Amino acid sequence: MRHTKSMIAAGAIAVAGAAATLPGTASAASICFAFQDLETEFWVAGHTAITRTLEEAGHTVIERNANEDANRQLEQVRDCIAQGVDGVIIIPQDGESAVTIVNEAQDNDVPIAVFNRPPSDLSNGIIVVADNASIASQAVDFLAQEAIANRQGDEKLTPLIIVGDLGDPNAIGRKDGFYEAINRYPDDFNTPIEVASEWDAATALANLEAAVTANPDIDLLFTSSDFLFPTIRSVFEPRGMWKQRGEDGHVIMGGLDGDATACQLLKEGYIDATGVQDLYFEAEAALNAILSAIEAGEAQPNEVIEDPGFALTSANLAEREMDMWGCVLLSEGFLDN
Amino acid sequence: MRLFLSDYFVLYLSLAYFFALVPFLPTLSNPANLANVLSNMWPLLVVAIGQTFVLTIAGIDLSQGSVVGFTSVVAAMLLATTASPDVLSNAPIWGIILTEEGGPLGHTSFGIPLAILIMILVGAAIGAFNGFAIAQFQMPPFMVTLVTMIVISAFAIFLTQSENIRNLPEQYILLGKGDIVSIYLGAQDESRIPRREIYSLITYPMVIAISVAIVAHLLLNRTVFGKQVFAVGTNRKAAEISGVPVRRIIVLVFTISAVCATIGAILYSTRLEAGRPTLGEGNFLLDVIGATVIGGTSLFGGKGKIIWTVFGVFFFVLLSNTLNLMNLSSFHIDMVKGSVIVAAALLDVWRTRLMREMNA
Repeated sequence: MRHTKSMIAAGAIAVAGAAATLPGTASAASICFAFQDLETEFWVAGHTAITRTLEEAGHTVIERNANEDANRQLEQVRDCIAQGVDGVIIIPQDGESAVTIVNEAQDNDVPIAVFNRPPSDLSNGIIVVADNASIASQAVDFLAQEAIANRQGDEKLTPLIIVGDLGDPNAIGRKDGFYEAINRYPDDFNTPIEVASEWDAATALANLEAAVTANPDIDLLFTSSDFLFPTIRSVFEPRGMWKQRGEDGHVIMGGLDGDATACQLLKEGYIDATGVQDLYFEAEAALNAILSAIEAGEAQPNEVIEDPGFALTSANLAEREMDMWGCVLLSEGFLDN
Repeated sequence: MRLFLSDYFVLYLSLAYFFALVPFLPTLSNPANLANVLSNMWPLLVVAIGQTFVLTIAGIDLSQGSVVGFTSVVAAMLLATTASPDVLSNAPIWGIILTEEGGPLGHTSFGIPLAILIMILVGAAIGAFNGFAIAQFQMPPFMVTLVTMIVISAFAIFLTQSENIRNLPEQYILLGKGDIVSIYLGAQDESRIPRREIYSLITYPMVIAISVAIVAHLLLNRTVFGKQVFAVGTNRKAAEISGVPVRRIIVLVFTISAVCATIGAILYSTRLEAGRPTLGEGNFLLDVIGATVIGGTSLFGGKGKIIWTVFGVFFFVLLSNTLNLMNLSSFHIDMVKGSVIVAAALLDVWRTRLMREMNA
């Protein structure tokens, strides 16, 4: 139910934002949209933005959910190609399977776009990807400065990063961005503690509990995805570490994605920044590119479209709040539903 | 009635299903779609053949999926031609087996056959362990293979820290997606044939799967070993009294099952071009056991044929394909698949009872 309502909300925004700018095709195109799952707010909103926009523009969307099974996704895309679709958009399970699926589509002369989770090899297909390293770096740089400003004493601060599945280039980019920012302050931070999540809340919970038990004096936490904030809360709250800005014991915290939960936590003061992927720009860019390729009869379009993103922080919240897709959803009552 | 009890019942069912749906789903008979159905069938068939042996002795092998994932990693870490430290430097195998230059067999001329031999030996060892624990300690196959599944899956994930190993040699990848004979069905005067109109006819996975099926058929139906397998599955006590080496048969059957899973791992991992520790997770086991049971192999043991499994896998893959073509969601597809498996198990009970009554 929650997903359905969020989809409707996100869809309405996406249609308003993207449908008017889609290239007109001579005839309605048939697009296969194969996604790995709809586990997080980001994927739900991205899925809705793509399907609603295509349907509003009169195109046929064939949806395929692989349930996080790379082999199943490959078979689903092959079935789509056999059905004679004009183009394929995928949210792949990981960067490696994305390479295989992109090659499969291109070998069959079907244009393919990869949404947000890039293949390990960026040379084939239309790749729409956020500049994860830059976005993470911007967010973590703000967190680092906040942590240094609030430091009591001369001791070095202890940062912690929850890393994603390192088979996903997004996770690697976010980790790189984190280190790039932290390494700017070599005299202020200890070696970061790394906690593996594999993009799985249960794994993150177990590993974070172990890390926090071993290192209770964490000063700064960065999660590679906002969807882990509820998990972080369940670890921090019983330990008295879940505090608002200004309260004693507040851990400087941030993430990346820009979802509704992050927006609310930022407003409430529990977190200090989040890197924002411009979801609607990414959806629109993927659709424009694939429809243009179909219209031009281009079978193997290759293009990397980068979403520069930005960091929404406690400092710029008032000015940039509505640039973040999660805040838009939040303002429409997403979390109340 | 004869049709219902025929060896070819599932094949007839599949054909009836196919022809009933073609008018509503024209894509179903499209050569590209048929090529897909066959392509999806071969790896599943190889694994299901192993499960057929196990079900025939009234056992079950839940560890096949984990063997697929683990052995795919074993082959990939030996055969990778390069590896990224960004992704794999935290893995325990990094620097010991796998480096930036790849695996130890990645650049050698004999690397592929040797890696395949090693992965088959590893798979066989896991199967032999299962069989030994079941035969020697009288432990239930369900419990032993469940524990093996958990341990082996976790070990595969530990070895690579859940990362996939890419950059496999081209010759190895050919085993999972290489064509031997392709066909084009269009006009001969085309100056350029679109690639999507060239269809796979004979592929390496097809040759491998059919070879495994023939060997398994001969083993199960034309050898003393096969007769002993049926004897153990029909009545273990009676088989023991009759001098059948029951323990040895159980160990061999579970070894065969794991070896089939390992060959399946070659086909699955090469079609995805990576060794994946999570390969074989999710609904994989449902597909394997479901396809075998749909074919007619009895869950109660003593009844199973490789040809039934071939038909069962064909029906199962055809079912998945048609559900996809109907644009059903993955949740509905899994619900339909589950229902069909239950129906097949029920059908097996009826057929067995009917045959018993006819023989009485």
